[in-house]
Amino acid sequence: MKDMLTTPLLSVRDLRVSFGRGEREVRAVRGVSFDVGEAETVALVGESGSGKSVTALSALRLLPYPNAWHPSGAIRFAGEDVLTASALRMRAMRGDRMAIVFQEPLTSLNPLHSIGRQITEVLFVHKKMSAAKARARVVELLHLVGLGEAEARMGDLPHTFSGGQQQRVMIAIALANEPDLLIADEPTTALDVTIQAQILALLKDLQARMRMALLLITHDLGIVRKMAERVCVMTEGLIVEQGRVADVFARPQHPYTRRLLEAEPKGRPEPGPAAAAELLRAHDSRVWFPIKRGLLKRTVGHVKAVDGISLRLKAGHTLGVVGESGSGKSTLGRALLRLTPSRGSIVFADRELQGLSWGEIRPLRRRMQIVFQDPYGSLSPRMTIGRIIGEGLEIHRQGSRDEQRLRVAEVLREVGLDPEVHDRYPHEFSGGQRQRIAIARALVLKPDFIVLDEPTSALDMSVQAQIVELLRDLQRAHGLAYLFISHDLKVIRALAHDVLVMQAGKAVEQGPAEEIFERPRDPYTRTLMAAAFEMQLKAG
Amino acid sequence: MNAAPDRFLGFAITPLTRRRIEAFKANRRGVWSLAIFLVLFVVSLFAEVVANDRPILVWYDGGLYAPFLRAYPETTFGGQFPTEADYGDPEVRRLIGAKGWMLTPPIPYSYRTVAWDLPVPAPSPPDAQHWLGTDDQARDVLARTIYGFRLSVLFGFTLTIVSAVVGVAAGAVQGYFGGWIDLAFQRFMEVWSSVPTLYVLIILTSIVEPTFWWLLGILLLFSWMGFVGVVRAEFLRARNFDYVRAARALGASDPVIIVRHVLPNAVVATMTFLPFILAGSVTALTGLDFLGIGLPPGSPSLGELLAQGKANLQAPWLGITGFVVIALILSLLIFIGEAVRDAFDPRKAIAASPPTPGMSAGIVEPAHQPPRPAE
Repeated sequence: MKDMLTTPLLSVRDLRVSFGRGEREVRAVRGVSFDVGEAETVALVGESGSGKSVTALSALRLLPYPNAWHPSGAIRFAGEDVLTASALRMRAMRGDRMAIVFQEPLTSLNPLHSIGRQITEVLFVHKKMSAAKARARVVELLHLVGLGEAEARMGDLPHTFSGGQQQRVMIAIALANEPDLLIADEPTTALDVTIQAQILALLKDLQARMRMALLLITHDLGIVRKMAERVCVMTEGLIVEQGRVADVFARPQHPYTRRLLEAEPKGRPEPGPAAAAELLRAHDSRVWFPIKRGLLKRTVGHVKAVDGISLRLKAGHTLGVVGESGSGKSTLGRALLRLTPSRGSIVFADRELQGLSWGEIRPLRRRMQIVFQDPYGSLSPRMTIGRIIGEGLEIHRQGSRDEQRLRVAEVLREVGLDPEVHDRYPHEFSGGQRQRIAIARALVLKPDFIVLDEPTSALDMSVQAQIVELLRDLQRAHGLAYLFISHDLKVIRALAHDVLVMQAGKAVEQGPAEEIFERPRDPYTRTLMAAAFEMQLKAG
Repeated sequence: MNAAPDRFLGFAITPLTRRRIEAFKANRRGVWSLAIFLVLFVVSLFAEVVANDRPILVWYDGGLYAPFLRAYPETTFGGQFPTEADYGDPEVRRLIGAKGWMLTPPIPYSYRTVAWDLPVPAPSPPDAQHWLGTDDQARDVLARTIYGFRLSVLFGFTLTIVSAVVGVAAGAVQGYFGGWIDLAFQRFMEVWSSVPTLYVLIILTSIVEPTFWWLLGILLLFSWMGFVGVVRAEFLRARNFDYVRAARALGASDPVIIVRHVLPNAVVATMTFLPFILAGSVTALTGLDFLGIGLPPGSPSLGELLAQGKANLQAPWLGITGFVVIALILSLLIFIGEAVRDAFDPRKAIAASPPTPGMSAGIVEPAHQPPRPAE
C-alpha cells in the first residue's frame, strides 16, 4: 500500500468535531481517519449533513471556534500537528501550503476588490513579493487557469465575470503559492454542467502539472468517478467505507455505499398512452422584460427571457425542458401557467388562456399546478401541512371541511407520507419530505398538468431518485402531463418522453427523447450531453 | 412530535411559538421586567380602588353603598347638604361612623383631591398623610402618579397598536403591489413626514382644547410611518417567495395571499420593534404635557409633574418622583423589548431549542436537515 511506504501528506486520525457543549452538543464528525498522499486525489463523498465539509475545514482549522471543538483526534499535515499549531503558524500554512476553493464563487470573492488585487493579496501575504513581480505572477496564474483574455481585465470587479470565470479566479488564488494540498469543497456544484466539466478538467490538469494533492468534497458520484483515485464515503459523521475508486464502485461493501450508488436516477419513462389527446399547445411564446433607461424610463431594449418557443404536450406525457441557468426555462414554465405575462397563444384543454381575466382563469387553475425547486422556500413556514395542502380545496370550495381533511389524508398517503403529519409544520421535515408535501399540494386538486420546476435539484442523490420514482408512479396512476424543467440530463432521461433544449430563450432542439439523446443534432445539445454523460462513459 | 398540541396558558401553540416562548424566558431580565410591569399596570388599572377620596364601601344604617362607583348626596348619610358627600370631612366621617363603617382605599386621595388641611403651604414635603408629598396645588403626588402612569401607558398602548395597524396595512399595500402605487405612496410619505408635528400641535391647542383622543389622533397622523419601511421591505421580499407563487398557481386572490401567506412574516418584523415604539409613544405624551401643549390642566400626567418639579426646585420630591417613574417605565419596556427581540431572532430561537443535528451544523451547511435513513 502506498501510505505504508511514504508518510502521507495529510493524515487525519480519529477526528471528532462537535458544535456546542453539554446538553446542546451536536456531534458533526464522530471519529474519522484517512490519509491523503502526495499528488493524490482523495474524494470525500456524502450527502448534506454528513460532516464532509466540517472534516475538510478542520484540516485548515477554519471552523467557528470555540463553538466548534475537537473531543479527540489529530491532523498531521506534512509532519506538523495542525490542531495544536499556533495561530501564527496556521496563518503561514493557510493559503501557502494548503489552499481551499469553496462552492459559491460569488460569495467567496470580495465584491469590492478587483480580481487582480485579490490574487495579489496572497502573494503579498506569504511571499512578500514586489508589486511588479506579483503582477507578472498574476498574469501567469490567470493564463494557468485559462483566463488568458482576462489579463486586460485584472482591474475589474468580480461581478463582471461569469460564475465559471469566478471559480477560475478562486482557483488562481488558491494556486498562487503552489500549495501542496488543495481542498476543493463542492467546487462545481453552483455551476452549469458545461462549465462544471471545464473546471473539473482544469483542476485535474493543474494537479498533474503541479504535483499537488487534492482533497475533493462532493456529493456527486460522477465527479468522484472522473477525478479521484481514492474515495471516502461519509454518512452521519463517520467514514463508512474507503478504498480505491474502482473497487468501491465495483464492489461496495457497506449498505450505505450501495444505496448511494443505486440512487442515481435510472430507467426510462414508460411509453405514454398512444391515443392521448393534446392537452397543452403553446405557439411562439415570448416573455420579454423591457430594459428601461434614463430619466423618463424609456424602453431601450428587451431581455428576451423566452423568445418564440412553440410546444405541444399530450395528456399522460412528459416534456423535459433542458437548459443552463438563465436560459429561460423556469420563465417558460411560469408563462405557460400565466403566472408571468407573456405573448403568443397558449391553448390548455382547448381553451385559449391568453386574454382571460384572473377570475376567468381561476376554474382552470384547478387543472394546472406547479412544483418548485426549493423545498424550503415553497412551503409557508407558518402554516400546518394540512392547511398548506388543503388550501387549494378551500380556494376552489371543494367539499365540506371533513371531506377536505379526508382528501388531504388521501393525497398524503399517495405521496408516501403518514396522514398523521396533518397538524405539523414544514420545519419538522427533511428536504425530500417537503418536496413530497409540495407535490401533494399540487396533486390535491386532481390536476391534469403539472409544471415541475427543477423539483429534484435541491435534494440529495438518494432522495432525488425516490422523487423521480414517485413522479413516475403518479403519472401512471393519474395520467398526468408533466412539463419537467431541469438542468440535469440524467433526470430528464429518466422521465421525459419529449425533450426541448433551451439556450438564451430559444429552443435549439426539440423532439422525442430517444432521438435527442441518441442523435443530438445541434452542437449545443452535444456539448450538454458530453458534459453530463462523459464522466460516466470514461469510468464505465 | 407528539399528537396532542402543545399548550401555553391554555392556547394551542405551534412548536415555533414554543421555541420563542423559551427564548423569551431565557432572558431573565426581560421576564422580571414583564412581571413587574404587569403588576404595576394591573394595579394602576384599578387606580379608583387604590387611590380615591371616595370610600370603596360604606355600611350605613342597614344599607350598603359603593361611593367609588356612584355619587351620593351628603343627605344620604344624614348630613345637611344635597351636594355630594365629602368623605374626608370630619363631620361626614362622624355621621357614618355613628351608624356603620366605611372602607377607604389605602391612599385616600384621588388625582384631583385638594388637601385643604396641609400644615405647610403647598407643595408640602412627604409625610405620613402624603407619602410622596403634594404638588403646588395641594394634590397628592402618589395618587397623581398612579393615575398618570395608567394614562401614559394606555395612551402609549393605543397609539402603538393603532399606528401599527395603519402602518402595516400601508406597508403591505405598497410592498405587495409595488410599481406606481408604491412610488406614489413613497413620495406622499416623504412629503408627509416633513410636516412638523410639534407646530401642528401648538396650532391645534390654540384652536381646540386637546383631549386624550385629539392628541392620539394628531400623533397617529405621523407615527404610523415608522412601521411602513420594514413591512414594505418584508412584502417586497416575500411576494417573490415560491410559496406565494404556489398560492397564486392555486388561484388564491391577492387579499388571501397578503393575509395568509405574507403578513405573518411582516408581523414578526413588526413585533421585534413594537416595544421600542411603545416606549417612544409613552414619552411622546409626557413630552407634550411637559411643554404644556398636552392634556388639559388638571389631568393626571407625568409630564405635568415634571413641569411642576422644574417650576418648584425647592420641592425636589416632585421632580424626583416624575423622573423615577418615567425612568422605571422606560427601562422596563426596553428590557421587555430586548427579550421580545431575542425571542423573534431566528438564530437565538434555534440556540434555545433542544438541538437537532444539522441545525447547529448549519453553520457550515446552512438550511439542510440531516438525511434520514427512512427516506
